Amino acid sequence: MLIGMDVGGTNTDVAFVDGETASIKVPNSAGIDTALSRISRPGRLAVSTSTPLNHLLAERDRKIVTILIPGMGLFYEGGMKGAVNHCGDIVEDIDRDEIDRFLRANPADAVAIAGKFSVRNPALEMAAAECACRYFPKERIALSHPLAVLDFPARIVTTRLNARIREEAFRLVSLIGQRKKDFLFFRGDGGLTTPENVLKDPSVLYNSSPAAVALGVHYLTGLKDCLAVDIGGTTTDLVPLEKGIPCTEELVYGGERTVTRVVKAESLPFGGDSVIADSIEPKRDGNALAFGGRLPTLTDALNRAGYEIGDFRASLSLRLEHAEKAVDDYCSIVAAAVAAHDPPKIAGCGYLAPILVPEIARRARKPFVIPPHAACANAVGVAVSRVSLTLFAHFDGGRGRVVMNGETGKIDRVGDDDELVAICTAEVKRRALAAGADPRDLDDIRVLHCSSFDVVRGSFRTSRIADIVVQVAPGITAEAR
Amino acid sequence: MTTGLIFDREFLLHEQSPSHPERRERLSYTIDQIEEAGLFHHPRIRVSRPPRATREQVERVHHPEYVRFLEEASRRGGFIDFDTVVPRGLLDCALLAAGGALHAGISVWKGDFTNAFALVRPPGHHARAGTGAGFCYLNNMAIMVRHLQHEGVRKVLVLDWDAHHGDGTQSIFYADPSVLFTSIHQKPLYPGSGDIDETGEGPGLGYTVNMPVPPGTGDVSYHYLFDTVIAPLAREFSPDIIAISAGQDVHFTDPLTGLAVSARGYAELVRKAVMLADSICNGKLVAVLEGGYSVEGGLPYTNLGIIAALAGLPLESIREPAGYQEILLRATDPSAHERVCQTAGELRKLLAPHWNSFS
Repeated sequence: MLIGMDVGGTNTDVAFVDGETASIKVPNSAGIDTALSRISRPGRLAVSTSTPLNHLLAERDRKIVTILIPGMGLFYEGGMKGAVNHCGDIVEDIDRDEIDRFLRANPADAVAIAGKFSVRNPALEMAAAECACRYFPKERIALSHPLAVLDFPARIVTTRLNARIREEAFRLVSLIGQRKKDFLFFRGDGGLTTPENVLKDPSVLYNSSPAAVALGVHYLTGLKDCLAVDIGGTTTDLVPLEKGIPCTEELVYGGERTVTRVVKAESLPFGGDSVIADSIEPKRDGNALAFGGRLPTLTDALNRAGYEIGDFRASLSLRLEHAEKAVDDYCSIVAAAVAAHDPPKIAGCGYLAPILVPEIARRARKPFVIPPHAACANAVGVAVSRVSLTLFAHFDGGRGRVVMNGETGKIDRVGDDDELVAICTAEVKRRALAAGADPRDLDDIRVLHCSSFDVVRGSFRTSRIADIVVQVAPGITAEAR
Repeated sequence: MTTGLIFDREFLLHEQSPSHPERRERLSYTIDQIEEAGLFHHPRIRVSRPPRATREQVERVHHPEYVRFLEEASRRGGFIDFDTVVPRGLLDCALLAAGGALHAGISVWKGDFTNAFALVRPPGHHARAGTGAGFCYLNNMAIMVRHLQHEGVRKVLVLDWDAHHGDGTQSIFYADPSVLFTSIHQKPLYPGSGDIDETGEGPGLGYTVNMPVPPGTGDVSYHYLFDTVIAPLAREFSPDIIAISAGQDVHFTDPLTGLAVSARGYAELVRKAVMLADSICNGKLVAVLEGGYSVEGGLPYTNLGIIAALAGLPLESIREPAGYQEILLRATDPSAHERVCQTAGELRKLLAPHWNSFS
């Protein structure tokens, strides 16, 4: 049994996939814990929790301070002593007193620690974290080296983002862990990962709904090229699928690049809970009247058009002409956005999809499909996803060191490229299996990068350096096929 | 304003032999440094892959017989000198490096980039019309200059800042008044040429300007030579474009040379060149990578400093580890500057008949 849970803005959706698919919807007002209590069946639980994290990231009043160790080359304002060079050697130590003085003078909610080339040697970041431990609990300290990618500015932004949400990630891990011992998190790029990995880099949870919808649509419809139109409470997301997979892009947070990948989607600020004044407004203020809210919404407008959603009589206070205009405007806005994508077909998801998508498709002049379980397609996508992970390895024979995803290990010798790729492939498989991957999902390991060169000292070849990136790609698990 | 970085992963493939100092890690580490600095994604920087130079473009500089020799030697392996053997497949790599310089130059000339840095290997400035030498096979700089002239550029100012004298480039333009070749280089050092009295010949007399400097020469002297020799000449020559042969073996950590230039000092020098280009040729400036062998020391971030200077990023922030200061102190010869000033004075006298700036 594969179980997927997606905590959305309004509801938590749960899907059960075991040959057949079943789904339930639990209002968030009841709490995540209530949704978890409804999962009594045994099976693999995967959880998508982007929405609470998105809300947390929208809060700007949290103060994050950053210990920057920019080392050599371009320096950064506020940068502190300490330098790791491109080979991973420490060529300048940190100044612990400097860090102490900085943290004393700058009280904050959480701290981000980022050092240049820390992915080649995390020692200085770890030493700085020891200093920070005197001021912050570990849940409020985020480090950049687990991000593994060479790109210091983007790692700084990602680490700041992680500092902001890491404590919430710890809370979620603990909350879900109390109900279900083994579970996995669903990432924004559409793969599953372990709670341990999430605590190192919680940014991977950010904005995961489009990925969930994309996988759900592909699983439920079998369509390879289409546009998923996901009508949620707060937004309507358009997610293109090409050859059965969604496209990913770099997550941009606060206008700045991160190293985190997310599924590409266009998010329109209108959904079932969008408030109606004269027409539909791009904002949410709690539930629809039909679900105990205080302001009329798009859902109430549909009730005025004759549907019976929730306590539909409560929607009567919305004036009919306002209701009709709101539905008309909504369909026009979404149809225009859909037409701009020019997809061969659209797939409607979300509770209101069976009502609204046929009209949107008509206006956009596109064929459409409403898959079964459309209301919970996102949770289905989470359920059927596979464990995926990327391994960044840097081998340095001269130093007897290998750094894998920011963690340093020892190595006796560095063999040829084929041998190193084989080592990395075996390692990524081992890690994926330990995380709960289906062995059948590990047949296709992608080598994303492989480069190496000899190190020459005094005219003699003394060792080799190699960089290898291998990946178990995101996608649908063999168990669901 | 956009700075073009001309780069192709294929530049990393060339290797004369597994232990040769002109080796792939020179550029691999630099690419790591650029990636880590996030400069491949910087809004003012665009990365561009070059096409290979064509035979026609190459033969505007090199004798066809020499190109045929390279072609033949590239099939089975060959030998030019003890520093410069021809590994199999060399010509493809050399044509791509020449194409990199050419692509950088033409992109700047046509206005696609404000300025550009061709991060190419193998280097080129020791290669003459009829032979390679000193790790170089095709003269990337000269091939670029001749192509630019083919495309309508009239005058080019070459600033060769590699620690070794750019004898190949000098010989190609020695009699050519459309190219003002200037070189600051360590002397004594390979190839041994580049005295101040080598000033050109025939119509090119006065258009070759050599500034040999002793070991231990540092930032102050390089800036002095720029301010008192290069800048006045450049203004009087009034080129259409400035081209830098950017060798980073002047850095104080370089194992093959004995100079004492810092990463920031070098970057500031490039910034002066950028400002000079702004004032005399609409900012058109192109840099082509030559030597630089301090692969585990200063080379990666010295290259980074050049990119920062070209892209107008703040150079005050270019920093070297505190522990390197001792190496810099050891590399510096306090008496070098006086000798540099003396040489510059003699050079200005030698050039006085050709340049009003010095008369």
